[in-house]
Amino acid sequence: MTVEQDCVALDQFPVGMRVLAVDDDQTCLRILESLLHRCQYHVTTTNQAQKALELLRENKNKFDLVISDVDMPDMDGFKLLELVGLEMDLPVIMLSAHSDPKYVMKGVTHGACDYLLKPVRIEELKNIWQHVVRSRFDKNRGSNNGDKKDGSGNNEGVANSDPNNGRANRKRKDQYNEDEDEERDDNDDPSSQKKPRVVWTVELHKKFVAAVNQLGFEKAMPKKILDLMNVEKLTRENVASHLQKFRLYLKRISGNQQAIMANSDLHFLQMSNGLDGFHHRPIPVGSGQFHGGAAAAGMRPFSPNGILGRLNTPSGIGGVRNNLSSPSSGMFLQNPTDLGKFHHVSSLPLNHIDGGNILQGLPMPLEFDQLQTNNNKSIIAGNSMAFPSFPTQQSSLPNNNNHLVLEGHPQASPSAFPGHQINKRLEHWSNAVSSSSSTLPPAQNSNSIIIGHQFDVSPLPHSKPDSLEWNTQNASSSYSIPFFYYDSSQMRQSGNYGPTTDAMLSSNPKEGFIVGQQKLQSGFMGAEAGSLDDIVNSTMKQEQSQGDLSEGDLGYGGFSSLRTCL
Amino acid sequence: MDAHVAQLQMQYRNYILSLYQQGFLDDQFTELKSLQDDGSPDFVAEVLSLFFDDCVKLVGNMARALDQTGTVDFCQVGANVHQLKGSSSSVGAKRVKGLCINFKELCEAKNYEGCVRCLQQVDVEYKTLKAKLQDMFNLEKQIVQAGGIVPQVDIN
Repeated sequence: MTVEQDCVALDQFPVGMRVLAVDDDQTCLRILESLLHRCQYHVTTTNQAQKALELLRENKNKFDLVISDVDMPDMDGFKLLELVGLEMDLPVIMLSAHSDPKYVMKGVTHGACDYLLKPVRIEELKNIWQHVVRSRFDKNRGSNNGDKKDGSGNNEGVANSDPNNGRANRKRKDQYNEDEDEERDDNDDPSSQKKPRVVWTVELHKKFVAAVNQLGFEKAMPKKILDLMNVEKLTRENVASHLQKFRLYLKRISGNQQAIMANSDLHFLQMSNGLDGFHHRPIPVGSGQFHGGAAAAGMRPFSPNGILGRLNTPSGIGGVRNNLSSPSSGMFLQNPTDLGKFHHVSSLPLNHIDGGNILQGLPMPLEFDQLQTNNNKSIIAGNSMAFPSFPTQQSSLPNNNNHLVLEGHPQASPSAFPGHQINKRLEHWSNAVSSSSSTLPPAQNSNSIIIGHQFDVSPLPHSKPDSLEWNTQNASSSYSIPFFYYDSSQMRQSGNYGPTTDAMLSSNPKEGFIVGQQKLQSGFMGAEAGSLDDIVNSTMKQEQSQGDLSEGDLGYGGFSSLRTCL
Repeated sequence: MDAHVAQLQMQYRNYILSLYQQGFLDDQFTELKSLQDDGSPDFVAEVLSLFFDDCVKLVGNMARALDQTGTVDFCQVGANVHQLKGSSSSVGAKRVKGLCINFKELCEAKNYEGCVRCLQQVDVEYKTLKAKLQDMFNLEKQIVQAGGIVPQVDIN
């Protein structure tokens, strides 16, 4: 939609918002239609997903929002969701009688901007317009240069589900106008004109993660992130696309854990290398962080420097430009296994002082300068205590890679995280490590969510405080892991999900991010949840079978590397 | 006659309250009622008739699925139950919805006997509800014909 169209629509928005409702259940459809009418939306209904797609394809600008049931006979609701997101880039709300969180997760990871449970209540529908606003808003922000001048604050306000949005709408409209103008005028922001490629260096990424953490993943909007980062010549668009990639990465990870695990590291590296994003960061492969020490040594065989280096390069993470397929996953991805994920998770807690508990066992890559904080030390120390067996396990790990990952990554991790989460965690980690900002705790939350969860699961002795931090967002711990395994090829494909991602991102960062996390978690955890726990347990107790251990080791390895990042 | 109307209205009110108290209806039905206005005066009746049509269809599907002499496709039964659950919860058919929840578990457990029994219960339940709501609509009609307006029943 052009800005003009947006403005026009915004004048009465959300009144008259055009909704397409799809549900094979005629009773529910009729009720939904009536509810939507009651909210003063313009409603079109169909009980067939195919018909819905036809309607949408007929004229992409005909609708503002799609609400679709999940269980439909002619097409799976999630499939429709993906297609709509990809082809039309419209916000899609899922509707279902399934309250099972894994469905919710699936919805979010497939790009739904919201998931409503039947019976739908009118209160819920009254606020769905925010998804449209958010979606447009983010799109505009992404397309406009990161002009900090526009009332970014207004934007945030608009995104709030404030029914009294007359003023907000106007502001938004103004903002759009403003954006348009600024776009055309010579901005004093040089990057806005040409949008030169931004290289997401580790430092930059660290700031990004810190900002996101500080804001909270759900609330992390590109503008705010940009403001927090306070980096010259960085545009909101850069941040937005970086954020998008991050989320996309998470989403991909959740969906492709297996595949990613297998290929991600290298893919990421390749991808990331191609990416202009993160710079190569020297990977302290030999990071002694690994208390396991021995493990680290074992890891070496992976030529961590070569791979890790690439993995760790921010490009992986910084793939904001290209894709989320940043090789960040590489960091931990040495082993595209759950362990890798595990690593991730563990690494997060490390950053947190509290988190140190969880990661106690994990060797912190001390070499990581970031780690050179008290936190690290405490964590590391804690780690060693918590996981005395870790080193042993590490060495026992068949995955040398893991070790490498662990060691090498710490540095790279912050930047190398292909997924946002990883980055976030890195941020956390970096933040924590460098004690540079107090953003750590919040950041931790976002990151921790990912990691924390996993840890929570594990009966690590120290767990609690970390888990709190980690779990801040949600059990995204599983997410952290996927990061590593972000498959660059997938990431490339993720471009297809751009719209979806945008929708996800725009409509509900939290959903995208967290959901993805959740999805990852569910996916990962589901499949490997036990394994994660096992991993943790195994590392702790060394009771797991080799396989588990390896996973665990890898996880730890990953963690340690993560830790270092932390 | 006012007295007559008042009496009918009282009767109506009590009847509605009893439906809630006996668990036939829940808050969602109240929501449904609130959506009925001058613009759509027959909204509730319309939705309910759609619902009961759905019931007939879904119960029929389930009966057929459970009637197999060979293997019973519990997934199919489960899918129908799921849909029934969705629509019954949307109209506020509390008992039917409750049965669907049990039914779902039985399907997942592939408990044939349990499913058959549950289906019978669902069949009885929706038909009972249908009869009761029909009585309610009749009362409404009587009130209107007597010159009164159908009262808003406040369920607390």
